[in-house]
Amino acid sequence: MEEWLYLQNEAAPALLKGFWVSLALIFPSAIFGLVIGVIVGVLRVYGNRPVAAAANGFVVLFRGIPLVVQLFIWYFGLPYIKIYLTPFVAAVLGFSLCSGAYHSEYVRGALLSIRRGQMLAAQSLGFSKVRMIFSIILPQAIRRALPGCGNELIYLIKYSSLAYMITCVELTGEGKILASNSFKYTEIFLIIGACYLAMTSVASVLLSRVEDRLSLPGFEHHRI
Amino acid sequence: MPEGLIAIADALPYLLQGSVVTVIVVLGAMGLGFVLGVPLAVGQVYGRPALRRGIGVYVWFFRGIPLLVLLFLFYFGLCTALDINLSAFTVAIIVLGLISSAYQSQIFRGAILSLPEGQMKAARALGMSDCKAISFIVLPQALRLAVPGWSNEYSIILKDSAVTYALGVAEIMARAHFVATRTYQQLPLYFTAGVIFLILTWMGTRGLRALEEKVRIPGYSPHGA
Amino acid sequence: MPEQILRIENVSKRYGKKEVLRGASLTVDKGDLKILIGPSGAGKSTLLQCINFLVRPDEGRIWLEEKEVHYAHKRDLYAYRQKVGMIFQDFNLFDHLTALENVRIGMVKVKGMAKAQAGERAVAELERVGLKEHMQKYPAQLSGGQKQRVSIARALAMDPRVMLLDEPTSALDPELIGEVLAVIRDLGENGMTMIMATHQIAFAGSLASEIIFMEDGRISERGTPEKILFQAENARTREFCAKIAELYGEKR
Repeated sequence: MEEWLYLQNEAAPALLKGFWVSLALIFPSAIFGLVIGVIVGVLRVYGNRPVAAAANGFVVLFRGIPLVVQLFIWYFGLPYIKIYLTPFVAAVLGFSLCSGAYHSEYVRGALLSIRRGQMLAAQSLGFSKVRMIFSIILPQAIRRALPGCGNELIYLIKYSSLAYMITCVELTGEGKILASNSFKYTEIFLIIGACYLAMTSVASVLLSRVEDRLSLPGFEHHRI
Repeated sequence: MPEGLIAIADALPYLLQGSVVTVIVVLGAMGLGFVLGVPLAVGQVYGRPALRRGIGVYVWFFRGIPLLVLLFLFYFGLCTALDINLSAFTVAIIVLGLISSAYQSQIFRGAILSLPEGQMKAARALGMSDCKAISFIVLPQALRLAVPGWSNEYSIILKDSAVTYALGVAEIMARAHFVATRTYQQLPLYFTAGVIFLILTWMGTRGLRALEEKVRIPGYSPHGA
Repeated sequence: MPEQILRIENVSKRYGKKEVLRGASLTVDKGDLKILIGPSGAGKSTLLQCINFLVRPDEGRIWLEEKEVHYAHKRDLYAYRQKVGMIFQDFNLFDHLTALENVRIGMVKVKGMAKAQAGERAVAELERVGLKEHMQKYPAQLSGGQKQRVSIARALAMDPRVMLLDEPTSALDPELIGEVLAVIRDLGENGMTMIMATHQIAFAGSLASEIIFMEDGRISERGTPEKILFQAENARTREFCAKIAELYGEKR
């Protein structure tokens, strides 16, 4: 059938290429995002007044402005001050900063939920503030923040599709190009939808596994 | 820099008209999401296993696929395939609404499940049918509990509305881009667009917090007896 | 000839492998106050909830005023539940409604009465339990004893033929128990037919027409208060009664 031939010879290779680009966008952004999230979250809770205020300001800005606008600013706006980024770099930058802001919310919530008693005990044992944060607080906080941060990673998989809007051609972008040429919009985007569903589902399952692996008695997360 | 400010000043009325479009899209989507989300939540909590599974699939589908892909699928794909002529604006509201209904259904489901089991029992003991018990006892309380979650959903939909620019909806982002390509004042204009979104977010959250206060039950805490 | 209000025959309930109720049978005449006692997990609560089908029994039949109840027919079930009032250990007042609205809602939404008329009756019931001044308060603003009294008013407003009380004072602070027991005593003296599960042995002794001891899902012994409390045949019954007499005080 002509349909299957088309799928095999034209669509599949292009979509596969797009898929790799999507993965190339997602993994670095996820890692940078988490790192930024942890740093900003820690600064918001334990930083001194000006530092915490700056961190909070960062979060308000990057959670309040739509990701699309942020991407446009990095790719179309920076040239205004003579900084030229490739679409790929602008996308990763945008995704990292935006998801970092969201991750910091979950990290902050988790840090605040650790009972004060833990900190008092650590301090009375002679821990310095920094040591205390890394050895006592963070290990517990990571488990608490996991569901929220995991959720954010799933969002990242989905909004990686927005890279297309600043001309970085990943899975969605390839699809749009193919479909504009062949007018097979429904078929192609159903396939693309299925790909994303597969990606988000796999990610969800992996995250559940990680949560279960890391769970300690008494720290159960009440999953709805 | 001054050209930047001039560009902003010139474009502002045009951008603000776009914010009206944005707000209508957001309110429409939230409304659709609510109208679908509540029955979906009730079905998922009180329905038969087959219904619960079906709703689960619906939620998984609309929460797993990116907005952009769904917009393209509906606007370019389904509309031509089913030969329906809908404006980008309408499709935007429908798609955003369907996605929101999946998220809102989970918010309401969580709120319903957090109510003590005894509320439903007491209603049944009085002789109420399940339908009456849900309408008069469960939902009035669950909906109040869901307001904070709903507030969150508002800011999400507001930001997602910028994506509809890809379909050509004349909202804030589309207009900012339009003016930017003509005046080459990209940075100031996109920044302004961002600020407008911030203001809209702030206004909405304020409004919803006032709503939360208004419907608050004196002395009530969700974990009270 | 005393009028038979309720007859329960061979009611059983299983949760998975666990049998929580085995073949319980009971008849209640008008004006009776039957009291269920027994250790936790004996099945007292399950039995009461089976009587108004909040829990679906696996076996057994139930007759209200000589007519059998068929719970499969939804309409019959709702009509039946209106005639059987239930008081819960956790009160279960509707948190989003004032005391007045709590008492009124059953009349308006289930019986279909006009709001004004139902409102008057609600005020009267609240007065009967001594809470008229608190009628505009929400459950969160009431004490435990007040909440339970409102729940009694709510059940009474439906004109029940029989009241089921599931450990009505177990969740209350000691000083609030008295006000609720006073209301229940009042109801009994005015002829209300009641089945009550409780640990309040002194109260049981003074008012009950029959005491029923349950253990492991079975009714293991029943009889007049004098017999059960002081001359029980069963060793386990004697042991139990002695223990709670110690805790809750004994009054001859």
